[in-house]
This record gives sequence, structure tokens and C-alpha cells, in this order.
Amino acid sequence: MNYRVGIDIGGTFTDFALLKGADVIVHKNLSTPQDRSLGVMEGLGSLAQKEGLSLTDFLGRCDAIVHGTTVADNTLIEMNGAVTGLITTEGFRDEIEYRRGFKEDIWDVRLEPPRQITPRRRRLTVPERVLHDGSVHKPLDEAAVREACRKLKKQGVESIAVSFLFSFVNAAHERRAREIIEEELPGVQVSLSHEVLPRGPEYDRTSTAVVNAYVAPRVTSYLESLVTRLGEGGYRNQLMVMQASGGVMTVDYIRGSPIRVLASGPAGGVVGSAHVGNAKGHPNLLCVDMGGTSYDMSLVLDGAAPAEAGWTMHHRYLIGVPMVKVETLGAGGGSICQINGGALQVGPRSAGSEPGPIAYGRGGIEPTVTDALVMLGILSTEEGFAGGSFTLKRDGVEAAFAKLGEAMGTSAEQAAFDCWRVVNARMSQGVRRTTAGKGIDPKDLVMLAYGGNGPAFAATQAEELGIEKVLVPKASPTFSALGTLVANPSIDEERSCIAKADALDLDQLRSLWTELGARARKFFADSSFNSDQVVANYQLNMRYAGQNFSLTFDVAPDRRLHDLSFIDDDLGARAIALFNQRHMAEYSHIREHEVPEVTGVRLATHVNTPSPVFAKGFPVSTGNPVPTKSRRANLGSGYADTPIFLGCDLQPGHIVNGPAIIEESFTTIVVYPGWKTIVDIAGDYEMTRTG
Amino acid sequence: MSFELNRKLAARRDPLPTSINIDPVTADIVRGAFETVCFEAATHLGRAASSPIINQSNERNAAIVDANGRLAMGAIGTPHLTFVNQMMVRWGLMNVEVYDWGPRDVFLSNDPDHGGGHLPDYCVYSPVYDDKGELIVVLTLQAHQGDTGGKDPGGFTLEAADIFTEGVSFPCVKLVHRGEKRSDVIHMIERNNRFATFAGDLAAMIGAVQRGAKMLDGMIGKWGADVVKAAINQSIDHTERLVREEVARWPDGIYEATVLIDHDTVGTKDVKVHVACTVKADQLTVDLTGTDDRPNLVGVWNTFANSRSYVMTQLCAAVDPTIVKNEGMFNAVEIIIPEGCIAQPPPNKPAALGSFHPACEITEAVCLALSQVVPERSAPQLYKIGMPNAVIGFDENGQMWMDQGVDCRSMDVSAVQGIDGWGSCPVSLGNLILSEAEDAECRFPILNISREMTTDAGGAGQWRGAPGSLNVKQVLAPTMAMAWMVSADHPLRGMCGGDDAIPYSNRFEVGTSGEYKIERTAQAQLPADAVIAYQHGGGAGFGSPLLRDPEAVREDVLDEYVSLKAARKKYGVVLTGSLEDYDLAVDHAATEALRKEMGGKLPALEAVE
Repeated sequence: MNYRVGIDIGGTFTDFALLKGADVIVHKNLSTPQDRSLGVMEGLGSLAQKEGLSLTDFLGRCDAIVHGTTVADNTLIEMNGAVTGLITTEGFRDEIEYRRGFKEDIWDVRLEPPRQITPRRRRLTVPERVLHDGSVHKPLDEAAVREACRKLKKQGVESIAVSFLFSFVNAAHERRAREIIEEELPGVQVSLSHEVLPRGPEYDRTSTAVVNAYVAPRVTSYLESLVTRLGEGGYRNQLMVMQASGGVMTVDYIRGSPIRVLASGPAGGVVGSAHVGNAKGHPNLLCVDMGGTSYDMSLVLDGAAPAEAGWTMHHRYLIGVPMVKVETLGAGGGSICQINGGALQVGPRSAGSEPGPIAYGRGGIEPTVTDALVMLGILSTEEGFAGGSFTLKRDGVEAAFAKLGEAMGTSAEQAAFDCWRVVNARMSQGVRRTTAGKGIDPKDLVMLAYGGNGPAFAATQAEELGIEKVLVPKASPTFSALGTLVANPSIDEERSCIAKADALDLDQLRSLWTELGARARKFFADSSFNSDQVVANYQLNMRYAGQNFSLTFDVAPDRRLHDLSFIDDDLGARAIALFNQRHMAEYSHIREHEVPEVTGVRLATHVNTPSPVFAKGFPVSTGNPVPTKSRRANLGSGYADTPIFLGCDLQPGHIVNGPAIIEESFTTIVVYPGWKTIVDIAGDYEMTRTG
Repeated sequence: MSFELNRKLAARRDPLPTSINIDPVTADIVRGAFETVCFEAATHLGRAASSPIINQSNERNAAIVDANGRLAMGAIGTPHLTFVNQMMVRWGLMNVEVYDWGPRDVFLSNDPDHGGGHLPDYCVYSPVYDDKGELIVVLTLQAHQGDTGGKDPGGFTLEAADIFTEGVSFPCVKLVHRGEKRSDVIHMIERNNRFATFAGDLAAMIGAVQRGAKMLDGMIGKWGADVVKAAINQSIDHTERLVREEVARWPDGIYEATVLIDHDTVGTKDVKVHVACTVKADQLTVDLTGTDDRPNLVGVWNTFANSRSYVMTQLCAAVDPTIVKNEGMFNAVEIIIPEGCIAQPPPNKPAALGSFHPACEITEAVCLALSQVVPERSAPQLYKIGMPNAVIGFDENGQMWMDQGVDCRSMDVSAVQGIDGWGSCPVSLGNLILSEAEDAECRFPILNISREMTTDAGGAGQWRGAPGSLNVKQVLAPTMAMAWMVSADHPLRGMCGGDDAIPYSNRFEVGTSGEYKIERTAQAQLPADAVIAYQHGGGAGFGSPLLRDPEAVREDVLDEYVSLKAARKKYGVVLTGSLEDYDLAVDHAATEALRKEMGGKLPALEAVE
């Protein structure tokens, strides 16, 4: 039998999901920050051992290894990417620094600037100008490009972004600049803006290209070393890499646009959620992932987690490539509870994993959400918690909340409870902001909770938002690795073209889509998929004139690659109707008397590959299980003796009525009063409201 | 419509009547939920609107006003808009029966003499009632419109003698009656607007307000009106207490500042704003007595509500940024604005340009005065630009377009103690998302030639202002262009010994025999291919330049924010090596000697720490 392996490297753990027929085997080992590929090889060795094979034999039988990586994110967090230069159009040297005026906090005059990837001395301009219609207003001054290269060479530049105005309409100048740079500065990586993000406006495209240039050398060298190690180990196929768009693609493809791996970990979780939701008959999900430092929220609608390309500030830099929309709030187990200006505040400051919450016993002295859960009796301080890797300690926790309570005029227990309420409220508001402007009422969604702390809050969050049902997969703590296995190989690219929807140049559309199709065919062929396997969704970006943000929609879904028979004289009229439909859904109104404009064509392609199967349904009730113990806990309505169940004891069909606590490996699930949980046929938990 | 009305509108309002007490944590949870409604409404508007000034520049605001007309909880949007909307709603609240208020109604207001700012700032609002029919809150949404139906496209008339020149005023007009749109009224309003995309903007505002009001309705149902009322009362009290606590830590005293505007739109020179900030225990009084009141001034009249708002915007910068911005801010501070001065004009004065000046000089004066008290938070939150070059034309259908675009790139970003000015605008404008050349050029016949920062165009200082940008653009078809120039004779002031920003300057028909510098105002018909160039003043410095870390000056020279010459002349820093070879180094001995020599010539040079 052949295997597929999903790997997700996180800050602390590297997670593995091995798909073997219909079975999923999960594994976790510590990450190896100095050379992360070592941790990967170690884990693959363990999986081989579990299968009773040598590493060579095991890897030889792997059809696919799929990988989600944080290497690009870490580069931006640690700001240790390549020495990067920018060559741009004369007159536009500083757009990247202006950030279109945007600042993250409009009230704080002491807000610090983000660190510049390309300080002004490494932003050089050259005379050249293309107009919006693609015509050349001023030819490229090649001598100026060579001069810029010399200046950048003196500054030890390792990677260069080139971003010229309207290069997404006419890329000749950018292409020629690359040729010159390759002559002048051999070995320096070049990112052309029209290749990284072929659309306007200039800040968005330039920023994306600059970040791409900054992370490119680290991402490519990391992936190449991993490919080498896997090859040496006996792996014969392409390494597939998770992208922020929720699809996977070959290392070769990623090399052309390394920025696409940013935030690919969270994307894996959302893709996994969509898959589980679909399997269990819930296509519309609110996915919440609460870990140590953050609460990540995302939406799955109609069974899909659509990637959006737009105004996404990621680590304070604008990234314009398609990303599965994941909103992050600084609220996790490590979030610190404190009094600020007389008001109780929880997060966004975090104790991280070092020193971590007081209960970790590693020197933390400020109370955190995890500590509040200990005070409330929700988290156990017995030996063997969290899969046995370590034990939470109560020492110092009570004293810290007593101090907090003193400042608030309440008891330690009340203070902990108030922290629980505040963090709950922040998360609910975070969810509402995630759905803001989208016309979605959370109450129409099913919640899917994962991450170490997600299931402890899920049901009470759901109640606050009016949600009736919560899913907690048994594998929730390693959900992102599972997600990489679910994700399909995919390419989602666009080309710009601006025209009134009732006056489309069909030949131009045909040629742009043909070009996108050719790229897709090449990369899929490289990863051993033939054109017949490729599912193509032909899409348009459209807006009413004057709108800043285009809406993307399918104009010809589920086609064969290169089947452009949908391009006919009626296309404009269909596009307008489809756009208005989409606009109505998004904004609740349309402008009947306006003709919208097309701003770009997109081609989203994928190949369906085997995914883990998630069973649905419930066996005949096997009766109510018996709790193994009980503990004094406050699940929102005061302290009471609360039954505790162990996840490993629960069988499909078991029902646990709230109030109750279920202790699973690496996570704790709280069944709040007014809720019940049923274990489904796959061993996953489904919580529903009873009261 | 009188000073008496202004007094009534500004009077301190009572807390909402409720007999219950709720704990502070619950109050804060309710507040957060209400703020999220504002976020939802503002986001919806920003995404659905058509005009760049709303959907790109993001110049909009959502707020909740309570049944007593108080800014109830946090708002989402531009600070300068945040503190005006409650004044407009108060006019409606004084006339609930006259205007037949009821559930699911939506109103429009923009009248400068009935609590408004300038005419383009439309306020669309909807009252929300509990199940017993008691009015609890009003959701308000403000956004700057591209036109107001007055004499000149865009609503800015340089020589306007009265408000009627500038366009149509709405004290309070009903757009939606009990959930039903009033098409007759809406069509009338649309008809009085030149802007091609105005109807879409108005529809977006109505849609966003209705959506938010429905959410508020649900929340009142869920928590009960009494809990909501108690939460509002607590939130406002809490803010007042926090502001007073901060003020109590400031040394008692009277801190004054005077700021001059170069001239009004017809050339009357040195228009004065004077502020005295008095700190006595926990009471702060901001008094604009002494501010210009010459009745013949033209263009420089800022509405009463706007003046209060611009005072408050700077006060917010001076206190802990996490304090919730609500009526408690106003309750904690006494604002005195003499009747008849340019910060509280008599009825029917024009209002459009006053939102630039003196509005921003009020902010600047408050900042200067308070720099003696809270230097670490003294960065002026303003725009010293007279007005951006508004480039206006008409398309083939006769519909107006305007590349006003708020196309400032770098302007007025002053340093604050410890941080150099950075980015494009002061932080209070940080929710703007500026238009870009590629968007504008697809829509309008213009060519952006340059928008880079100019070396040495920021005020020097221990922390330096961001250099101002030089915006050069070419019109590709005959076009009307309008400008009002100020901040040339009196540029943005430095703080605590920092240098002023450089003067603004603006030239039309650059590179031709007809090139001219705009001294005061311009309303020009530009021929095709004419070039216009606007040098923005940049930010001012903070603290003496001679105290700046010489290594930071070296970095500035490498980045061409500062020239080699200015490094020596302004900062007293002597560098060796060459900029071309990127091997500049500080000659510490020579720098020390030069600074000593320069320091001897400077009047006051104490460290600001």
C-alpha cells in the first residue's frame, strides 16, 4: 500500500499525518529550529518504524509528501531575510514607505514604524514609464538600471524587487530590467512585481514583490535542502508545498513566488476544517483555532475556504497574493490578564511558551488565560495532562488572581471568572468583526474548534454567537498537518485587464486565459498530472467604476483546462448578471443603472487527490458513559462538582451531558451547561445545545 | 440656528435614566459589542461605496449616540469625524416630534449651523428603540461626499460669502420612514449633487446604517435596555475619570500658544488662533479666547462642532490612547470658544475650507500648549496643506470627476519625543488609505510624474519630522484646478526646540513660460499637458537638532532624508567618506567641536528627556 504524508512545522512541534488507505496515523515530535528539515526527517523515520519499514522503503512508497512551513513567517517575525533592494519607476521611490497612509492605531502618537525591508538607500529609481493602456510613455533607461545595480552591489544586496508602474499591463520594462540585473549581479535573486502580483495599484504590488524578494532566498534554500534530504532518503516524487491560498504546489512553482507559502499553516487548518465539515454534512463553518498566543478565526462557506487577494496586512506588510482569510486576535492560553486604566484587560500581551503561564512552572508570574482555566477547575493539575508531556501546577496561580481581585475589589475566584468572561467577549467580538461587511450571521454557521485551547471555550463562544452546533475533531491538536493532506494541488493566478463589461475584448480575454492555462499545464505536468485531471475554474474580477475592491466570481466553473468555449458574445451580459448576484450577496444592494467593469481574469485550477475520509453519523446509542472522576469547576454559572471524562474511554455513540469536562490528548473539551456532546462514528465530538 | 442653539447643543447631558447597576466587566463587554457594530457599519460602507474618498481614502466614521445625545461608546473611523456626529443628532433629538422619529427611520444631516461640520460631511443616522418604544440609542455614520451641489464642483468655493454658495444644507431630513425609503426625498438629494457616483454612496450609507441599527436592536433585546443604559453610563463615567486622573498628574498652570494662518482666501494676512490650556487639579480648560474674529475674513470659518472636535482630537493624542473615546472626554474638559470668532462663526458663514483652516491650527495650538505638559505625546494631529490640488473635469456624459484623491503622500508627520516622524500622515489620519497613481490614471486623464519625499523637507530635531513630498502631476486634457495656499509664511511648528517644517509651495504650468507660483489661491483652467507641482511641508522636529544621535544623522544622510550639508548646518554633524560609496562615518571629535560652536549661538538648548 502506498502512503501520503502531511507535515506541518510549528514553533514548538512538527506534526505529521500519515494517510494509509482510509486510515490516518498522527505523529508529533519537537521542531528543530536550527535546521528544521532534521525534525522532518526524524519524524519520517518514526513513521517508517511504526510501519515496520526502513526509511528508504517507506519514502519509496510515498506517493506524496505535502508540507506546510512557517519559514517565510519566521523570516518576517525575526526580520532576518535577505538584504533586499528595490528598483522602481522614477518619482515613485517612497510609495513603499508611505503605506498608502495606513497606520495600525489611529490614536497612539507613539506608534512605532514597521522596520523597513528596503530602507530608502536601497530603493532606487530609473527613468521609464508605461501608461495605463500599456503604451510606453518613456522608454526604459537601461544605463540607469545598470547604475542602480552598481549601487545595490556596493550595499551587498542579495535579492532585488523590480516594480514599475503598470507593469501588469505591459511587462517589457520589468523583464528587460531582470536581464540587465542578471548580467550585472549574477546570483542575486530577482522578483518582478508583475509576476508576483499582476495587478494594481502600485503600493500593493510593490509591497508584495518586496516581501517576496525578502523571504525568497530563505524559503528556496530551505525547500531545496529538504528536497535534497528527502531524495537522499529515498523519496522519488515531488515535494508538494502548502500555499496560503489553501492549495499545494511543487517546489519549482513556489520558487517563482515564495511569498505564497506565508501563513500556509493556518490555511492548512482551514482547508482541513472545510473537508471535515463537508464530510459531516456542514458546509458552512466558523473555524476557531485557539492556541497559546492567538485566536485565529476563519469562515468556510458552501464547503470551501475561498482565498482572497486584497488588502491583507501580514506582520505589518501588505501581501496581495491570494490567502485563505484568517483573522487573528491576540487571545490565547498565554494571554496575560491585567488591570489597565482601572479596566480588566486580557491580552494581546502574551507570556508565550517561555516563561508561559504561571501554571507551567517555568518562572511566569503574570496570570494568564490558562491560569484562569486552572483557577476555574477547567484544566487539570493532575499528572499526565496534555498527553503526559507535562503537568500544570497550581503554585502561585491563586496568589496572582488574589492580587488581581484585590485591585478589582473581588475574590481571586471571581477575578479568574471575570478574565474568562473578558476573553470570551473579545473572541465573540473578533468573530463578529471577521464576518463584518460580509452579510453573514454567525448563528447560521456550525463552529469547528481546534488548537490546544479552542475546545475549552468553543461551546460558550457558540452560545454567545447564537450558534447551535460545535464540532471538535479528535485530531484537533494536529489539525494543520491533516489539512495539508486534504489540500489539493492548485494554482490560482490572475492577469489584469480593465474594460467595461459591456465592451469586452474577447480576443484579449482568450489570450490571457490561454496564457494562464499554459502555465497551469506546465506546473501540473511537472508534478505528474496530465491536463485531463486538471479542473479549471475560469473567474473574473469585477467592480463598479470607482470601487476600490473587486469581487471575484466563477464565470465558467469546473471546466477542462483550455476549454474556452464559454467565451462568446454573451459573456459580457452573463458576467454582469453574475457580478450583480455576487454584489447583492456581499453588500445587499446593486446599482441597476451602472455597467460594472472587469478588472482582471483569473484561472483557479486544481487536481483532486485522495484525502482522508471522515466518517459521518452516529451508531446506536451505547448509553451514557460513566465519569472517571469529578472536580470542583466553574463552567460559567458558579462552582460545582463537575464530572470528568477521559477521551480515551469514550466510544462512538457515547453521550456526555453538560456540565462536564472531557480530557483529550493535548486538549480539554468543556461541555457547558445546556449543551451535550455525542461521539460520532469517527470518534469526533459533536456538541449541540439542549437548553 | 444661533449662538444660543450652539450653547444648547454643547450643553452637558445627563446620564440615561436607569435604576440598575451593573459590574464593570459586563459594562465593558457591552461596550465592545457596540463598538463591533460600528466596525460592521463602517466596514460595510467602506466596501460598498463608489467614491474614492470613502472606499479608498476611508474617510468615514461610525458612532453610537445615546438617547440623551451623548457619544455613547467607542467609534470607528476618522477622529476628526468622531467628535461631531453627536451634535448633529442632538438637533434631531430636540425635534423628535417635528421630524416624526420612529423605529427603522433613517435621517440625513449635514448642516453646519445645526451641529454639523462642513457640508460634505454627511451624517446618516437611525434611532433604535426598545420593545416598549423607548428610544435607547442612535447609530450614526458619517462620510465625506464628493460634491454638495453648490457653486463649485466639490463644494469648495474660495470666495464663498455664505453657506448657500457651498451647497445644500440638511438640518435633519428623513430618508427612510419606518423601513420604507422615501424615493421623492432621495431623488431630490441625488439631483442636487454633481458627483457621478453619489447615488451609490448614499445608498451604501443607508444600507450600512440600517444593518447596524438592526444589530443594535438585537443587542438591546438580548441584554435589556436597562443593562445597555447602565453600560453606556459606566463607559462615559469611566472615560471621564481616566482623563481627569491623567490631567491631575499634570502640573497646574496656564499653557498658551498662538498659531497663525498665512492668510484667508482673499489675502487678509495672519489669521490668528490662540489657545490657553488651564490645568487646575483634575480640570482641564481649553479656551480659544483671543482667536481671530474679524468679520471680513473669508474662507477661514470653522463650525462650532468642528472646532470642539479638533480640540478633542489633539487631547486624545495627549492622553493614554486606550481610553475609550466617548462623551466622557467632553465631560472631563471644558472647552471655551468665543461666539463670533472663526472657531464659532455666526450663522450662514461658509464652512467648507474652515475644516482645513483654522480647524488644524486649533489642533496645532492645543498641541503646542500641551507640549509644555506632555512632551512625550506632543505630535500635532492635523493637515497643514491649504487644500490638495483639486483637479476637476467632466466626462463625456457631463458627469463630474475629481482627482482630489487626498493625494498627499508625505505631509505633516512630525516627530514625537523618541520617535521620528514616519509614514504618510499623522496617526489620526492612519485609517485613510490613499489613492494610488495606477487607480487614478485608469479613471482620469492625468499622469503622476513624481511623489517622492524631498531631501531636507522635514523639520530637524533630536527626533526629526518626516520629509514632505513633492507631488508633480500632469493633466492630459484641459482641466480645472483649484488650490488654496497656506503654511508657507507660517509652516508647521516644531516642538520643544525642534525645527519647524519647511514651507508649503505650489506651482502651476511648471516648465512653461507661463509657470507661476501660487501665492494665495488659484482657480485655473489648465491647458492639456500642463504640469502642477505641490511641495508638501513635511513634519516638524522635536527637541534640538544638536542633540540628535550623530549616528542617526549618518543614517538619514545615507537614506537621503537629510543632505550632507544639512547634517553639518542643522545637526552639527561632520561626516567623512562619501555618500556614493555608502561609507559615511561620523567624525566624533569634529562633530563635538562643531556642536559646541553652534550650541554657543543657540538661545536655549536644554535636553528634552
